[in-house]
Amino acid sequence: MVNNGVQLKGVSFRIGEFAIENLELSIRNGEYFVLTGPNGAGKTIIVKLIAGLLQPAAGAIRIGGESVTDLPPWERSIGYMPQDGVLFPNRSVRRNIQFGLEVRHESKRTMGEAVERTARVLGISHLLDRMPVGLSGGERQKVALARALVLKPSLLLLDEPLSAIDEETRDSLCDELRAIQRQTGVTTIHVSHNRKETQLVADRVGVLTHGAISDIMEVHKKA
Amino acid sequence: MQSSSSPHGRGFDRLLAVPLAVYLLLIVVLVSGVFLTITRKAVAEAFSEPALLYAIKLSVVTSVAAALLSVAVAVPAGYVLSRRRFPGHFVADTILDLPIVLPPLVMGLCVLIFFNTAIGRWIDRGIVEEGLFVYQPLGIVLVQFIVGCAFAVRVIKAGFDSLDPRYEDVAMTLGANRSQTFFKVVLPNIIPSLVAGAVISWARIFGLFGPVLLVCGTMRGRTEIMPTTIFLEISIGRIDVALVVGACMILISLTVLVIFKRLGGKGYLW
Repeated sequence: MVNNGVQLKGVSFRIGEFAIENLELSIRNGEYFVLTGPNGAGKTIIVKLIAGLLQPAAGAIRIGGESVTDLPPWERSIGYMPQDGVLFPNRSVRRNIQFGLEVRHESKRTMGEAVERTARVLGISHLLDRMPVGLSGGERQKVALARALVLKPSLLLLDEPLSAIDEETRDSLCDELRAIQRQTGVTTIHVSHNRKETQLVADRVGVLTHGAISDIMEVHKKA
Repeated sequence: MQSSSSPHGRGFDRLLAVPLAVYLLLIVVLVSGVFLTITRKAVAEAFSEPALLYAIKLSVVTSVAAALLSVAVAVPAGYVLSRRRFPGHFVADTILDLPIVLPPLVMGLCVLIFFNTAIGRWIDRGIVEEGLFVYQPLGIVLVQFIVGCAFAVRVIKAGFDSLDPRYEDVAMTLGANRSQTFFKVVLPNIIPSLVAGAVISWARIFGLFGPVLLVCGTMRGRTEIMPTTIFLEISIGRIDVALVVGACMILISLTVLVIFKRLGGKGYLW
């Protein structure tokens, strides 16, 4: 299997009083990795560094064996899903999902097929013509996930994707996330500080404390 | 704005509405007074002169051109001021407020003095012998732009400020480069601010009088715009014709406001 895991080697970053020094982290190809830790530990910063939304002061980041340290976010082949989805409010669900295909100048037919297929997998076909404003928290997250997955990214970054969702919906979304990740095999980094959520989805868990990985634990044995 | 569903405290709400009612009444009384004073004879007299029609045309053309130019500058300027912090950011932000707080006449004086310097003279008369700006219609656009652009920047920057930067983050991770992100995500989501910026700068520009008079004079059929027509007509004692021009300005302003509000200034204009 081609290695499209994620490696952070000697990554340093500073913002105000907070600093990440010489961070080493390796995430296996096809793995569901949960990054957990207390508020202010730097989880979101690490996700943004991997996404290219922040630039490390030192070190290297590799995705799928390729160095992406100096690549802008739009050249990294990632899917990014922040807390509460951040759906574009002026676009319908369909146009939200096809956004990444639009900027790649895909044909209307290709976009239509890809959007329908992804929406079917996530069970949101009935939402395609709705606007984001009327969607529930769970629906918004599914649309955001579809928008990221439709591009078949090498890496999926989920930054506290379920933190604004009620517990019951969260459990079912965890199951769906896990199933979709198994189905697509996409390497996934999921930021969470919810213990139950972590147990439900993770292959491995990395605990982040003050910008450093303090522990890494196996949770599931991959099938 | 959402109204409170609670039936309690309506009396207090009514009390709060009193100043609004008084102010609305004041505006309606003053504006309708203009229309009630106008006579048919004055209207016929005003429109029998080509100078008034020229002034209306020049006012509309210059104010629209200056407002569009203001928005064209305010969009990138507002974005940079909203999203980036750079050395001198505070100074730049403060300088931008100068045209808002300074009396327009002072801005006009500044323009006039600038065109009296060597660089100013070269810009004004270096290319076209008879001049580009001073006592020229293009000067009207320049003065209107200098005053109006600051208003457009303020309103449009507020639109960028209120737009969650995470939309841009998500767009970039989905493969959109900076310009695609700006044009496909940022701009479409601040349309109400763009409309509001255009309307507010246009409203400021349309009635601009002092600096236009200083820089461009008020030459009939050349640099005369509606506010300067009112000034000219009053100075020669034709109050009734000045009132007709004033009524035209009110009607044009009302039309523009209604059109733009229907276009989508929601949240900023009402």
